[in-house]
Amino acid sequence: MMSVELTVLTLAGLLQVLQFGLMSVPANVELGPGKTLSPRDRSRLGGSLEDQLSERTARLYRALNNHFEGLILFTLAVVVVTLGEASNTLTQACAWIYLAARIAYIPAYAFGLSPWRSLVWFAGFLATTVMLLTALFS
Amino acid sequence: MFGDELTILGLYGLLVVATLLAQATGAMGQLGMGYLLSSRDEGRTAAGMAARLERALANSVTAMALFAPAILILEARDGFTPLTLACAQIFLLARVVYLPSYAFGVTGLRSLAWSGGFFATVALYFIGLA
Repeated sequence: MMSVELTVLTLAGLLQVLQFGLMSVPANVELGPGKTLSPRDRSRLGGSLEDQLSERTARLYRALNNHFEGLILFTLAVVVVTLGEASNTLTQACAWIYLAARIAYIPAYAFGLSPWRSLVWFAGFLATTVMLLTALFS
Repeated sequence: MFGDELTILGLYGLLVVATLLAQATGAMGQLGMGYLLSSRDEGRTAAGMAARLERALANSVTAMALFAPAILILEARDGFTPLTLACAQIFLLARVVYLPSYAFGVTGLRSLAWSGGFFATVALYFIGLA
């Protein structure tokens, strides 16, 4: 039986897969496989590939990279909560808040919704921090 | 049961949280809150200490991704010993030293601290797999 936190972690992992697809498909359409399959040497492409993406795809690229960072920290929080047997209603709620925030983050970034992107980012960050603190002080 | 190595893993998570807050504060000062809240389409870059904190954060996240599995392997195999605790403590201490030495540009010390954390992690893998 998987704990709530581990279930949410699995879903967050799948969200990362989804985000990769959301970025990768338009990026390959825009740049063409000649560029994406190449070793992407800056000298040959005339700079970074990211700079050649459309505005929306570049935002999806930054959103993907941001979630890598958030996901590593969230994974750590889930691990210490689970192995420390510190799971409670608060940590379970925080896990769901994290997932909801990271889902909302994607359209907020893609459509440039300011300051909402930053606010939902902060909600996910705060939820992770609360989980870490709960694990340490329970 | 909350093993000591797990406490260190949790503490390191909080250290990364603190690094991120410091980096965001620096970026806010240089790039402006308006830019940070925007979609950052221009790709403005920070300089000086704010840029160093950005690199330190990226490095800390990499170190976290490497450190956490080592602790997990040991936990799953019941492999915690005084030696693994010492390695985890060295890792945490090294990463604590790493941050200010990067922020203030202390050449030599930063690389020394990075090496301490790196080799402590490598040692944990060897102990865990032995």
